[in-house]
Amino acid sequence: METGVLELERLSVEAEGHCLLRDVSLTLEKGELLALTGPSGCGKTTLLRSVAGIIDPAAGRVTFLGLPPGEHGWPAYRRRVTYVTQRPVMFEASVRENLARPFGYSSAAGVVFPARRAAKLLELLGLGGERMDQQARSLSVGQQLRVSFVRALLLDPAVLLLDEPASALDEESAGMLREQLEREVQARGLSALLVTHDRSEASRWCHRRVDLRKYACIEFDDEESADG
Amino acid sequence: MVDRAAAGVIELQALDLVLAAVLVLVAGLVSMLLRLGLEKRLLVAAMRTVVQLLLIGYLLKWVFRIESLTLVLGLALLMIIAASRAAVTRPARTFAGVSWLAFLSLTVTGMVTTITVTGLIVGVDPWWRPQYMIPLLGMILGNGLTGVSLSLDLLLESLAEKREEVEMELALGASAREAARGPMAFAIRRGMIPIINTMMVVGIVALPGMMTGQILSGTDPLDAVKYQIVVMFMIAGATSLGCMGITLLAGCRLFNRRHQLEAHRIRRR
Repeated sequence: METGVLELERLSVEAEGHCLLRDVSLTLEKGELLALTGPSGCGKTTLLRSVAGIIDPAAGRVTFLGLPPGEHGWPAYRRRVTYVTQRPVMFEASVRENLARPFGYSSAAGVVFPARRAAKLLELLGLGGERMDQQARSLSVGQQLRVSFVRALLLDPAVLLLDEPASALDEESAGMLREQLEREVQARGLSALLVTHDRSEASRWCHRRVDLRKYACIEFDDEESADG
Repeated sequence: MVDRAAAGVIELQALDLVLAAVLVLVAGLVSMLLRLGLEKRLLVAAMRTVVQLLLIGYLLKWVFRIESLTLVLGLALLMIIAASRAAVTRPARTFAGVSWLAFLSLTVTGMVTTITVTGLIVGVDPWWRPQYMIPLLGMILGNGLTGVSLSLDLLLESLAEKREEVEMELALGASAREAARGPMAFAIRRGMIPIINTMMVVGIVALPGMMTGQILSGTDPLDAVKYQIVVMFMIAGATSLGCMGITLLAGCRLFNRRHQLEAHRIRRR
């Protein structure tokens, strides 16, 4: 049997010393879109940041292609398991420079910024035309979110870590993002861990859903994670 | 009337100092007339100036007479500790262990620069002769601590304020060094600007204190200028080394081997 592309083994996360989630264990298969749902404040974002290696988990471990992140090299791991934040973070530069910046890091290992692919992806997400040379921070939040999605896809990640990807998008934009995600899954077996508080969003976007409430350190009411 | 300048150095008498104090009284009078409420502070400041400078004068006189390497190094150590403390208390943010890093960077830059000047450039024999070593180290530390505290302040501010950007760089595959490059360059630049600005206007806007002191004590202005050039270059070198030192050391402390920014270490003072 083929092992998962990403595995979480008894992962626990905390914030300022308070336990949020305990012993989260799951396996993400190649080409799988897996939703992690739970109410606001249950630790979804903290879990995703731990998986991305931006912070350390309180306990447990993550393995990517059978190896812990450190063995891949942390920068190289983060290129392959790429985190897309809920609130887009744009550098003070043009959209083009924002997209090209990761290709200047040593972990890019000489890979050249695929400008044509970038333009095509932006177009597919409704950001064609002159957007490339616009200041990224002058875009709306929804547009910035799509740029950050394109920035992550250009790295050719094996896994995308998506934090509430539809929260700042209208129906149409969210639909375009979802379709592109599906295309990436079909074309090259991209996998994604997606966290959301919205169960109906989870079922629209993903193949499988795991409810994080069973790992939560404190109890949450069922209504809090009601279908949105 | 006796020509007091005939001997080169005019020695000041106690009465001269009393006359100078009249100038402070003028400041006190202004404060009273305008109801600034600064009289008491002015009096305390004037008293402290007299007491502190007399104490250091007697201490230096003693150190200069004894000419002991241990004593000179001990005094240098005290000066560096005081400078490190001043450098880390000025920034708005701090983190555990920052005092040691400031001490380390000021020790290395202060001692390396001072010894280069006394031993190699001026050629003092022995290199630690207190008349040279102590004032030069004092000037280096005085300027160095300003640079160090400015760099530290800016580094901590940009890592705290731009934390999301730094973490995004890391999330996109940047190494800690690559993610820290922007904030670090910003911090080093900020720390070095005052000394560069000073070098731009030195001799035009104001004469530096040391040069003024030398001229007042009868030294030929051109000789004083040569010393001042050495001092300016020495301060510029030491300040840039100090800024780089504290920024690199703080950067190493605030990023870990997993290429994570440990922003939780940074706290407001």
